[in-house]
Amino acid sequence: MRLTFGDEVEAFRQEFLAWLAENRPSEEEMAADPAVSSAHIPDWARRWTRRQFDAGWLVPGWPPERGGRNAGPVETLVYQEELTKAGVPRTTNPQGLGIVAPSILDYGREDQIRGYALPILHGEKSACLGMSEPDAGSDLASLKTRAVLDGDHFVINGQKVWTSGANYADFCFLFCRTDPDAPKHKGISVVLVDMDTPGITVRPLAEIVKPEHPDLNEVFFEDVVVPKENLVGQMNNGWAMANGSLAHERGMVWLSGVLGLEDEIDKVLAEAPDKLARLTPTERAVVADGLVQSAIDVAAARCLGYRGFAKLVRGGSAPEQALMKAFTSESRQRLALRAAEMGADHLVDLAPTPTEHSWLEAYFVTFGGTISAGSSEIQRNIIAEKVLGLPR
Amino acid sequence: MDLELSEEESELRDNVRAVLAGICPPAVVRAVFEGKGDVAPVWAKMVELSWPALAIDEEHGGLGLGFVELGLVAEELGRAVAPGPFLATATQFAPAVREVGAGSPLAADLLGRVAAGQVTGTVALAEAGRWEPAAVAATATETDVGWALTGAKAAVLDAAEADEVLIVARAAGTAGPDGLGAFVVSGGDLAVTPRTVVDPTMPLADVVLDGVVVPPERVLAAPGAGDARVAEALERASQEATVALALVAAGACRAIFERTVEYAKVREQYGRPIGSFQALKHRMADMFLAVERATALCYFAALAIAEDDPRRAEATAMAKAAAGECQRLVVRDGLQLHGGIGMTWENDLHFLLKRALAAGALYGDDVHHRARLAHTLGLVARDDELEEARA
Repeated sequence: MRLTFGDEVEAFRQEFLAWLAENRPSEEEMAADPAVSSAHIPDWARRWTRRQFDAGWLVPGWPPERGGRNAGPVETLVYQEELTKAGVPRTTNPQGLGIVAPSILDYGREDQIRGYALPILHGEKSACLGMSEPDAGSDLASLKTRAVLDGDHFVINGQKVWTSGANYADFCFLFCRTDPDAPKHKGISVVLVDMDTPGITVRPLAEIVKPEHPDLNEVFFEDVVVPKENLVGQMNNGWAMANGSLAHERGMVWLSGVLGLEDEIDKVLAEAPDKLARLTPTERAVVADGLVQSAIDVAAARCLGYRGFAKLVRGGSAPEQALMKAFTSESRQRLALRAAEMGADHLVDLAPTPTEHSWLEAYFVTFGGTISAGSSEIQRNIIAEKVLGLPR
Repeated sequence: MDLELSEEESELRDNVRAVLAGICPPAVVRAVFEGKGDVAPVWAKMVELSWPALAIDEEHGGLGLGFVELGLVAEELGRAVAPGPFLATATQFAPAVREVGAGSPLAADLLGRVAAGQVTGTVALAEAGRWEPAAVAATATETDVGWALTGAKAAVLDAAEADEVLIVARAAGTAGPDGLGAFVVSGGDLAVTPRTVVDPTMPLADVVLDGVVVPPERVLAAPGAGDARVAEALERASQEATVALALVAAGACRAIFERTVEYAKVREQYGRPIGSFQALKHRMADMFLAVERATALCYFAALAIAEDDPRRAEATAMAKAAAGECQRLVVRDGLQLHGGIGMTWENDLHFLLKRALAAGALYGDDVHHRARLAHTLGLVARDDELEEARA
């Protein structure tokens, strides 16, 4: 055990910081044209992704031809830390860069890599993930969207829901049923579907926060014709990719959860003295205790995450990693509500003043973390069954 | 930050666990709980294996390892509910002697004898539920033959058993961190009243200081008005004691959690293991999180102490608060999920429950440490500041 990384890692950090200072998008250009969806890539973001790719800073762990520099896992972690501290998003299409591109690189053919994965890495295309359906949420393997092979093309019919960014994405990494007679995990395939293909209808779902900028969508497929060569990997082998996709996603989640929590607790503790001043000493003690518990959560999330990470780096297993998704998302939820409660007339106004950050909105947004990508309840089932070995 | 055990650290942990399984199996713990235990063989084996010397520097005959290694032993002591003088001697007495008496012949002598396993010790610091050095009220008055100590110490670990007791008292007329001193008195010379404790493997006693006189050669640090150095040294030593206890609690909690999971796999009702019910699965997943959360914070604090990082005070409070919170959840759900069998004296579970509670409370429970953090994080004024403001 030790508190700091070695000199080589710190040198890597300095190299990245120097590059970042020269090449980062400015606060002004980001504020002037913010990303309004998880598949919306404003011009500054396109240029930023390309700059990162060309300099080998997009996915540092990958080889240079894929936007990396063959960095190790510790260096990759340092890179993420510094990017977050600088307040610069790595991408505005997280599911594209974090899940779709790596899945295509893992399972796709060379022409699919050229046509779909590299354009994501160059900031030229954005992707959405077609997974959940009205009757297949946590139980994803029950999905029904049907792709029927007819000569040299698939005909797709069905519906997806909660599809982040479908209203802006260039293409969809679509999970669909290709063998309705096989056991449910064994009849699923992945097909790449350009979102401008005839027969696709995207209906944005306004959310409870910022309804004017919907990110979740229903996507309807009606006799959508897709070339057979858009099948990714083997026919009926989609479930392996579903697990692989989520593994890519869970691989990123703990660190962004921790870094997000650290950023938020710093803000809350900075705001607290002024906001708590209006309370009686007794009220203040009660509220302060909640904030302290959140501060402990944040420190614990960092320690747990880094501890699990160190185990993985050494090639061991890290059961605590399974805890991170539920723990960080629930910690953010508790913290956001406590922060909202600090405001004057707490929980009445959306924000203390119209220009101030709304912790109440942030609170609602945190439910995205506890519901999506395996809800907190599913996470507990996974922990109980896969980590603790309890019977199904 | 690398919070995972190195190979050497893992080996030490495995080794300590194996030794404890041999020298304090449940039968030995049970005997202590039933008032017929003999902890001498447990201590003798630890001395034979040089455990008391572990974290004492080589200059004083120790092995020169750090606080992380000491923490690993503490976690295992919790897991085994191990009785004996190790905890008080190695995690309270020795650090206090080192921090307060740095460089003095008395400190060198005591540390050398602890390392050699020749002496056991403890620290009489807390008074009436207050664990901070600055809250000490006991006084030390200089006389012709030494210092006379007056006051009352509460819940001193091993006070009735230890060879040497380090007593904290202050110069008359001082308050807060100012004017503290530290004195070493033989256990036999003190008026000690054992308490009826929840966990008899960690015996506590109250100590009445009725003018006991400490000769000059047994004064570790004489109290002086305007001098806060002893308070600072005691804070540092208390951090070691606190994190060690947090790890004892975390170790006991992990054992409770593991027993509960194993029990839920084999206990059947309605024709299936009770561990297959989702309501119970989720409670065990939450127990797992509580144990991992506390353990991770404990080792961060241990590392902050070992590397003397400026975050050590805050990390200590967080570790002990998390250990206390962990104890609340794991003791409750561990007992609940065991059902009736967990309520029986015959089952070994209650030793762990009681150890988790006792270690969670000593040197401040979660409420105490969260209150400290509320102050250090700038959220509330300290109680004494509030009183000043009122006056």
